[in-house]
Amino acid sequence: MTTPDPEAYSLDINDPDDAELIEYFLGELPDRVDSLNTAVNNADIEELGRLSHQLKGAAPGFGFDKIGSVAGEIEGQIRAMGDSKSDIDSIRADVDALVALCQSYISTNPFAS
Amino acid sequence: MMTQDVSEISKVYMADESTNSIDTTPVVLLIDDSEFVHRLLDARLRSESISLIGEHDGRKGMERAASEMPALILLDLDMPVMDGFETLRSLKDDPRTRDIPVIVLSGMQSSQDKVAAFDLGAVDFVTKPFELTELRARVRSSLKMHALLQMLSQKAQIDGLSGLYNRSYFDDRLQEEYDRAIRHGNPLSMAMIDLDKFKQINDTYGHPAGDQVISGVAKIILQECRSVDIACRYGGEEFVLIMPETSPEQAYLLCERIRVRCEQVTWSDHPSRRVTLSVGINGLESGTTSSVLPAAIIEQADRNLYTAKQSGRNTVIATDTQGNRVQVAKAG
Repeated sequence: MTTPDPEAYSLDINDPDDAELIEYFLGELPDRVDSLNTAVNNADIEELGRLSHQLKGAAPGFGFDKIGSVAGEIEGQIRAMGDSKSDIDSIRADVDALVALCQSYISTNPFAS
Repeated sequence: MMTQDVSEISKVYMADESTNSIDTTPVVLLIDDSEFVHRLLDARLRSESISLIGEHDGRKGMERAASEMPALILLDLDMPVMDGFETLRSLKDDPRTRDIPVIVLSGMQSSQDKVAAFDLGAVDFVTKPFELTELRARVRSSLKMHALLQMLSQKAQIDGLSGLYNRSYFDDRLQEEYDRAIRHGNPLSMAMIDLDKFKQINDTYGHPAGDQVISGVAKIILQECRSVDIACRYGGEEFVLIMPETSPEQAYLLCERIRVRCEQVTWSDHPSRRVTLSVGINGLESGTTSSVLPAAIIEQADRNLYTAKQSGRNTVIATDTQGNRVQVAKAG
C-alpha cells in the first residue's frame, strides 16, 4: 500500500467518512478513464460533454477538486461549441490532460491492493 | 351495571393520536442517475435524522414517491430519458405526490433553470458540486416546513373540541368515498348521530359540562370506529360517520356499540344524569351501481335519525338505499 498523500485530496483521508468517499471514487476512476478514452477515439463530443459534466459535479464532493475543475473547463468548451459539435481537436489536449490527471490518482491509490 | 369514567377513555385516545405523530424519521427520496451522487449524499446525510432512499431515473422515482410518500424529494435535473423537469411536472400533476416538497439538484447554474424549476413547484434549488453544510441546512429547513404544513392542514381539518374531523373535511370526503364505493361495487354507510336532550345538559349543568360530554362521546366514537371510518363533528351535538366498505347491517352493529357504551358512562360533572344518543343510518349494499346521490344518503340517514327520536330516543335506525329497514336484534 502506497503512503497516502494528504495534500492530494480536498477531503481528509484520515477521516473515516471522507476516506470512504475517496476510496469509492478512486475505485470508479478506471472505468471513467476508459469511457473518456473511448469517447475521444470515437470523436464522440456529446459523450465527452456528458462525462465531463458528471465529473465536474461529482469529483469535488469526493475530494477531487482538481478533476472537477479540469472537467468543468472541458464541459464549458463543449458547451461553447453550440450545436456544431465537430471540433474534437480543440479539446483533445484538455481531455488528455484530464485522463493523465486521473491516471496519476489511480497509480497512487492508497486503497489499491 | 358497568360504568366507565371518561378519563380512562381519554388515555386510549391520546395513544391513538400519537400514531399520527409527525415525530418519526422522515424519508427522503433521492432521484439522480449518477451513482456518485447517491454515494455522496448517503455518506454526507448520514448524520441527519433521515432515512435516505434512492432511484436512478425519473420514472422509477415517481413510482417510488407515490408508494413511499417521502417527506422530501431531492431531484436531479440532468438525467437521460426523463429529465428532472419532466419528472417534476409529473410529480406535481399526481395528486398523491403533489404536496411532497422537491429540492432540485443541478450542475447548471443558469437562473433560467432555477426559475423554471420554481415555476414547476420546486421549493429549493441546490447546485453541484454540493456545498454540503448548505445542502444539509436546506434539507433540514424543507423537512421542517413540510412537517409544519402537514400539522397545519391536519389542524384545519380537525374540530377543536371533539378532536374529530370537522364539517368541511366531511364535505370533502363524502363524494370521494361515495365515488370509490360505486367504482368498486363496495358497500358504504353513513350515520348521523345526535345526543338526546343535549340542551338540557348545557342549561342545567353549564356549558363546560356540555363540552365534556361532546368530547367524551367523540372519544367513544373514535374507539368504536375502525381506522378506515371517518368520524366528523357535523354541528353542535351532532356527529356524522362515513363507513367505507360497510353495509347498513354492519354499520348498525357498530353504532349500537356506540349507543350502549354512551348510555353506560358516568359523567363526573353530573353523575346522576346519563347521556344517550340516537342514530340514523343509511347506506349502499355491495354491488350498488345506482344513481342515489351521496346527499340523498345523508338526507335519508337524517330522516332515520328523526324517526329514532320520535320512537323514544336512545335508538339506532338503519335502512338501505332501497328503503328497507335493517332488522338486527338489539344487543343486551
